[in-house]
Amino acid sequence: MSAQLWALAVAGIVVLAAACLETFRSRRARRLVLATSPSPSVPRRGAAPINGEEQPYILYFTGDSCTVCRTHQEPALARLGDVRVDKVDAIAERTLADRFHVYTLPTTVVMGADGQPLHVNYGYAPAPKLERQLAEARVMSLRSAATA
Amino acid sequence: MSTPATQVVDHSALKVNQTGIIATVLVAFVGGALFRPLLVLIPLLAIVLLLGTFAPQLALFKQFYFKVLKPRGIVKPRPVQDRPEPHNFAQGLGGVFLAVASIFLIPLTFLGLALALLVAVLAFVNVAFGYCLGCQIFYQLERRGLLRA
Repeated sequence: MSAQLWALAVAGIVVLAAACLETFRSRRARRLVLATSPSPSVPRRGAAPINGEEQPYILYFTGDSCTVCRTHQEPALARLGDVRVDKVDAIAERTLADRFHVYTLPTTVVMGADGQPLHVNYGYAPAPKLERQLAEARVMSLRSAATA
Repeated sequence: MSTPATQVVDHSALKVNQTGIIATVLVAFVGGALFRPLLVLIPLLAIVLLLGTFAPQLALFKQFYFKVLKPRGIVKPRPVQDRPEPHNFAQGLGGVFLAVASIFLIPLTFLGLALALLVAVLAFVNVAFGYCLGCQIFYQLERRGLLRA
Protein backbone atom coordinates (compact mmCIF):
# COMPACT_ATOMS: atom_id res chain seq x y z
CA MET A 1 0.00 0.00 0.00
CA SER A 2 2.85 2.39 0.77
CA ALA A 3 4.08 2.05 -2.85
CA GLN A 4 0.65 3.27 -4.00
CA LEU A 5 0.80 6.27 -1.67
CA TRP A 6 4.30 7.19 -2.81
CA ALA A 7 3.22 6.79 -6.43
CA LEU A 8 0.27 9.13 -5.81
CA ALA A 9 2.60 11.67 -4.24
CA VAL A 10 5.10 11.50 -7.12
CA ALA A 11 2.38 11.71 -9.78
CA GLY A 12 0.75 14.61 -7.91
CA ILE A 13 4.04 16.53 -7.76
CA VAL A 14 4.68 15.93 -11.47
CA VAL A 15 1.16 17.11 -12.42
CA LEU A 16 1.50 20.20 -10.20
CA ALA A 17 4.94 21.01 -11.62
CA ALA A 18 3.64 20.58 -15.18
CA ALA A 19 0.69 22.89 -14.46
CA CYS A 20 3.01 25.55 -12.99
CA LEU A 21 5.40 25.22 -15.94
CA GLU A 22 2.54 25.57 -18.43
CA THR A 23 1.22 28.68 -16.64
CA PHE A 24 4.70 30.21 -16.59
CA ARG A 25 5.26 29.35 -20.25
CA SER A 26 1.99 30.83 -21.49
CA ARG A 27 2.41 34.00 -19.40
CA ARG A 28 5.96 34.45 -20.66
CA ALA A 29 4.93 33.92 -24.30
CA ARG A 30 1.97 36.31 -23.89
CA ARG A 31 4.21 38.94 -22.31
CA LEU A 32 6.75 38.58 -25.13
CA VAL A 33 4.07 39.07 -27.79
CA LEU A 34 2.26 41.96 -26.13
CA ALA A 35 5.29 43.81 -24.75
CA THR A 36 7.60 43.53 -27.75
CA SER A 37 8.50 47.00 -28.87
CA PRO A 38 7.49 47.60 -31.59
CA SER A 39 4.62 45.11 -31.40
CA PRO A 40 4.48 42.55 -34.20
CA SER A 41 1.71 44.22 -36.17
CA VAL A 42 0.22 42.06 -38.87
CA PRO A 43 -1.26 43.41 -42.07
CA ARG A 44 -4.84 42.36 -42.73
CA ARG A 45 -5.12 39.19 -44.73
CA GLY A 46 -7.90 38.73 -47.26
CA ALA A 47 -11.30 40.41 -47.20
CA ALA A 48 -12.06 44.10 -46.84
CA PRO A 49 -13.05 45.66 -43.48
CA ILE A 50 -16.67 45.11 -42.42
CA ASN A 51 -18.91 48.18 -43.20
CA GLY A 52 -15.86 50.00 -44.53
CA GLU A 53 -14.49 50.48 -41.00
CA GLU A 54 -11.47 48.83 -39.43
CA GLN A 55 -12.63 46.37 -36.77
CA PRO A 56 -10.78 44.16 -34.32
CA TYR A 57 -10.28 40.68 -35.68
CA ILE A 58 -8.90 37.30 -34.67
CA LEU A 59 -5.76 35.59 -35.88
CA TYR A 60 -6.40 31.88 -35.45
CA PHE A 61 -3.38 29.55 -35.50
CA THR A 62 -4.24 25.98 -36.29
CA GLY A 63 -2.78 22.90 -37.96
CA ASP A 64 -4.00 19.68 -39.44
CA SER A 65 -2.68 17.74 -36.41
CA CYS A 66 -4.88 19.81 -34.06
CA THR A 67 -8.02 17.96 -33.05
CA VAL A 68 -9.18 20.47 -30.43
CA CYS A 69 -9.15 23.09 -33.20
CA ARG A 70 -11.83 21.18 -35.08
CA THR A 71 -13.86 19.86 -32.19
CA HIS A 72 -13.79 22.91 -29.88
CA GLN A 73 -12.11 26.04 -31.26
CA GLU A 74 -13.77 26.28 -34.66
CA PRO A 75 -17.33 25.90 -33.28
CA ALA A 76 -16.46 28.60 -30.70
CA LEU A 77 -15.19 30.93 -33.43
CA ALA A 78 -18.31 30.25 -35.52
CA ARG A 79 -20.45 31.40 -32.56
CA LEU A 80 -18.82 34.85 -32.69
CA GLY A 81 -20.94 35.79 -35.70
CA ASP A 82 -19.74 38.67 -37.87
CA VAL A 83 -16.21 38.77 -36.51
CA ARG A 84 -13.42 38.35 -39.00
CA VAL A 85 -11.19 35.33 -38.37
CA ASP A 86 -7.88 34.96 -40.21
CA LYS A 87 -6.95 31.28 -40.17
CA VAL A 88 -3.22 30.56 -40.19
CA ASP A 89 -1.60 27.16 -40.63
CA ALA A 90 1.09 27.25 -37.92
CA ILE A 91 3.19 24.63 -39.71
CA ALA A 92 3.06 26.20 -43.17
CA GLU A 93 3.45 29.77 -41.86
CA ARG A 94 6.10 29.13 -39.26
CA THR A 95 7.58 32.65 -39.32
CA LEU A 96 4.24 34.21 -38.42
CA ALA A 97 3.66 31.52 -35.78
CA ASP A 98 7.08 32.25 -34.27
CA ARG A 99 6.30 35.96 -34.12
CA PHE A 100 3.40 35.13 -31.85
CA HIS A 101 5.35 32.48 -29.91
CA VAL A 102 2.80 29.82 -30.88
CA TYR A 103 3.91 26.79 -28.88
CA THR A 104 0.54 25.08 -28.71
CA LEU A 105 -2.51 24.70 -30.93
CA PRO A 106 -5.00 26.24 -31.11
CA THR A 107 -3.73 29.76 -30.43
CA THR A 108 -5.99 32.76 -30.93
CA VAL A 109 -4.80 36.36 -31.05
CA VAL A 110 -7.28 39.21 -30.76
CA MET A 111 -5.94 41.97 -32.99
CA GLY A 112 -6.91 45.59 -32.63
CA ALA A 113 -8.26 47.62 -35.54
CA ASP A 114 -4.72 48.98 -36.01
CA GLY A 115 -3.33 45.47 -36.44
CA GLN A 116 -1.71 45.32 -33.00
CA PRO A 117 -2.12 42.18 -30.86
CA LEU A 118 -4.24 42.87 -27.76
CA HIS A 119 -4.95 39.42 -26.31
CA VAL A 120 -3.22 36.08 -26.87
CA ASN A 121 -4.86 32.78 -25.89
CA TYR A 122 -2.67 29.70 -25.91
CA GLY A 123 -4.88 26.63 -26.05
CA TYR A 124 -8.65 26.47 -26.48
CA ALA A 125 -10.40 29.80 -25.91
CA PRO A 126 -14.18 29.56 -25.40
CA ALA A 127 -16.54 31.93 -27.25
CA PRO A 128 -17.50 34.08 -24.19
CA LYS A 129 -13.82 34.77 -23.47
CA LEU A 130 -13.18 35.79 -27.09
CA GLU A 131 -16.33 37.96 -27.08
CA ARG A 132 -15.11 39.75 -23.96
CA GLN A 133 -11.67 40.32 -25.48
CA LEU A 134 -13.20 41.58 -28.72
CA ALA A 135 -15.44 43.98 -26.79
CA GLU A 136 -12.36 45.35 -25.00
CA ALA A 137 -10.59 45.68 -28.35
CA ARG A 138 -13.55 47.63 -29.78
CA VAL A 139 -13.55 50.01 -26.79
CA MET A 140 -9.81 50.57 -27.25
CA SER A 141 -10.31 51.25 -30.96
CA LEU A 142 -13.04 53.80 -30.23
CA ARG A 143 -10.84 55.50 -27.62
CA SER A 144 -7.88 55.73 -29.96
CA ALA A 145 -10.15 57.03 -32.75
CA ALA A 146 -11.55 59.68 -30.40
CA THR A 147 -8.12 60.88 -29.29
CA ALA A 148 -6.72 60.89 -32.84
CA MET B 1 -2.21 28.38 -46.20
CA SER B 2 -2.12 24.68 -47.02
CA THR B 3 -5.28 22.63 -46.99
CA PRO B 4 -5.12 20.01 -44.24
CA ALA B 5 -5.00 16.44 -45.60
CA THR B 6 -7.52 14.92 -43.22
CA GLN B 7 -9.63 11.78 -43.14
CA VAL B 8 -12.58 10.77 -41.03
CA VAL B 9 -11.58 9.62 -37.55
CA ASP B 10 -14.17 8.13 -35.22
CA HIS B 11 -13.57 9.99 -31.96
CA SER B 12 -15.73 7.55 -30.05
CA ALA B 13 -13.08 4.88 -30.75
CA LEU B 14 -10.44 7.20 -29.30
CA LYS B 15 -12.57 7.87 -26.21
CA VAL B 16 -13.16 4.16 -25.66
CA ASN B 17 -9.42 3.56 -26.00
CA GLN B 18 -8.62 6.26 -23.44
CA THR B 19 -11.31 5.01 -21.08
CA GLY B 20 -9.82 1.51 -21.37
CA ILE B 21 -6.39 2.87 -20.46
CA ILE B 22 -7.76 4.71 -17.40
CA ALA B 23 -9.76 1.68 -16.22
CA THR B 24 -6.85 -0.76 -16.64
CA VAL B 25 -4.35 1.47 -14.84
CA LEU B 26 -6.83 2.09 -12.00
CA VAL B 27 -7.51 -1.65 -11.60
CA ALA B 28 -3.76 -2.34 -11.53
CA PHE B 29 -3.13 0.55 -9.15
CA VAL B 30 -5.87 -0.12 -6.63
CA GLY B 31 -6.01 -3.89 -7.10
CA GLY B 32 -2.22 -4.16 -6.92
CA ALA B 33 -2.36 -2.95 -3.31
CA LEU B 34 -4.53 -5.94 -2.35
CA PHE B 35 -3.39 -8.54 -4.87
CA ARG B 36 0.09 -7.76 -6.19
CA PRO B 37 -0.08 -9.96 -9.36
CA LEU B 38 -2.64 -7.47 -10.76
CA LEU B 39 0.32 -5.19 -11.46
CA VAL B 40 0.94 -7.38 -14.51
CA LEU B 41 -1.87 -5.40 -16.17
CA ILE B 42 0.55 -2.50 -16.66
CA PRO B 43 3.04 -4.36 -18.91
CA LEU B 44 0.07 -5.99 -20.68
CA LEU B 45 -1.43 -2.56 -21.33
CA ALA B 46 1.93 -1.35 -22.65
CA ILE B 47 1.98 -4.26 -25.12
CA VAL B 48 -1.63 -3.58 -26.18
CA LEU B 49 -0.94 0.12 -26.80
CA LEU B 50 2.33 -0.47 -28.66
CA LEU B 51 0.80 -3.21 -30.81
CA GLY B 52 -2.21 -1.00 -31.55
CA THR B 53 0.05 1.86 -32.61
CA PHE B 54 1.77 -0.15 -35.32
CA ALA B 55 -1.08 -2.53 -36.20
CA PRO B 56 -4.48 -0.82 -35.68
CA GLN B 57 -6.27 -4.18 -36.12
CA LEU B 58 -4.58 -5.26 -32.87
CA ALA B 59 -5.70 -2.21 -30.88
CA LEU B 60 -7.72 -4.06 -28.26
CA PHE B 61 -9.96 -1.26 -26.96
CA LYS B 62 -10.63 0.18 -30.42
CA GLN B 63 -11.50 -3.28 -31.74
CA PHE B 64 -13.82 -3.77 -28.75
CA TYR B 65 -15.54 -0.54 -29.79
CA PHE B 66 -15.75 -1.42 -33.50
CA LYS B 67 -16.79 -5.07 -32.96
CA VAL B 68 -19.01 -4.84 -29.87
CA LEU B 69 -19.94 -1.36 -28.65
CA LYS B 70 -20.66 0.31 -31.99
CA PRO B 71 -22.68 -2.49 -33.68
CA ARG B 72 -24.88 -2.87 -30.59
CA GLY B 73 -25.44 0.87 -30.35
CA ILE B 74 -23.93 1.05 -26.86
CA VAL B 75 -21.59 3.85 -27.95
CA LYS B 76 -22.60 6.11 -30.82
CA PRO B 77 -19.99 6.88 -33.47
CA ARG B 78 -18.61 10.41 -33.64
CA PRO B 79 -16.87 10.89 -36.99
CA VAL B 80 -14.66 13.98 -37.20
CA GLN B 81 -12.51 15.25 -40.08
CA ASP B 82 -9.13 14.67 -38.49
CA ARG B 83 -5.71 13.11 -38.90
CA PRO B 84 -5.10 9.74 -37.22
CA GLU B 85 -1.30 10.20 -36.95
CA PRO B 86 -1.23 12.50 -33.88
CA HIS B 87 -3.58 10.13 -32.02
CA ASN B 88 -1.49 7.09 -32.95
CA PHE B 89 1.62 8.96 -31.86
CA ALA B 90 -0.01 9.81 -28.52
CA GLN B 91 -1.04 6.18 -28.05
CA GLY B 92 2.50 5.01 -28.84
CA LEU B 93 3.91 7.53 -26.38
CA GLY B 94 1.55 6.17 -23.72
CA GLY B 95 2.73 2.65 -24.58
CA VAL B 96 6.39 3.67 -24.24
CA PHE B 97 5.73 5.31 -20.85
CA LEU B 98 3.91 2.19 -19.66
CA ALA B 99 6.77 0.00 -20.91
CA VAL B 100 9.23 2.11 -18.89
CA ALA B 101 6.81 1.91 -15.94
CA SER B 102 6.80 -1.89 -16.30
CA ILE B 103 10.61 -1.99 -16.08
CA PHE B 104 10.47 0.01 -12.86
CA LEU B 105 7.69 -2.05 -11.29
CA ILE B 106 10.01 -4.64 -9.76
CA PRO B 107 12.96 -2.62 -8.41
CA LEU B 108 11.06 0.64 -7.69
CA THR B 109 7.35 -0.18 -7.55
CA PHE B 110 6.26 3.33 -6.56
CA LEU B 111 8.03 4.88 -9.57
CA GLY B 112 6.50 2.38 -11.99
CA LEU B 113 3.08 3.03 -10.52
CA ALA B 114 3.61 6.80 -10.65
CA LEU B 115 4.47 6.63 -14.37
CA ALA B 116 1.43 4.46 -15.07
CA LEU B 117 -0.73 6.88 -13.08
CA LEU B 118 0.56 9.80 -15.16
CA VAL B 119 -0.45 7.99 -18.35
CA ALA B 120 -3.93 7.49 -16.86
CA VAL B 121 -4.12 11.18 -15.83
CA LEU B 122 -3.23 12.28 -19.39
CA ALA B 123 -5.81 9.88 -20.83
CA PHE B 124 -8.38 11.34 -18.42
CA VAL B 125 -7.50 14.92 -19.44
CA ASN B 126 -8.01 13.87 -23.06
CA VAL B 127 -11.39 12.22 -22.37
CA ALA B 128 -12.67 15.02 -20.16
CA PHE B 129 -11.24 18.17 -21.77
CA GLY B 130 -10.11 17.07 -25.24
CA TYR B 131 -6.52 18.10 -24.52
CA CYS B 132 -4.08 15.62 -26.04
CA LEU B 133 -0.50 16.10 -24.83
CA GLY B 134 0.86 13.53 -27.29
CA CYS B 135 -0.78 15.49 -30.14
CA GLN B 136 0.91 18.70 -28.91
CA ILE B 137 4.29 16.90 -28.87
CA PHE B 138 3.50 15.66 -32.38
CA TYR B 139 2.83 19.28 -33.44
CA GLN B 140 6.14 20.45 -31.94
CA LEU B 141 8.10 17.64 -33.67
CA GLU B 142 6.33 18.32 -36.97
CA ARG B 143 7.04 22.03 -36.63
CA ARG B 144 10.72 21.32 -36.16
CA GLY B 145 10.68 19.05 -39.21
CA LEU B 146 11.40 15.93 -37.13
CA LEU B 147 8.17 14.26 -38.19
CA ARG B 148 6.60 14.27 -41.62
CA ALA B 149 2.93 13.57 -42.28
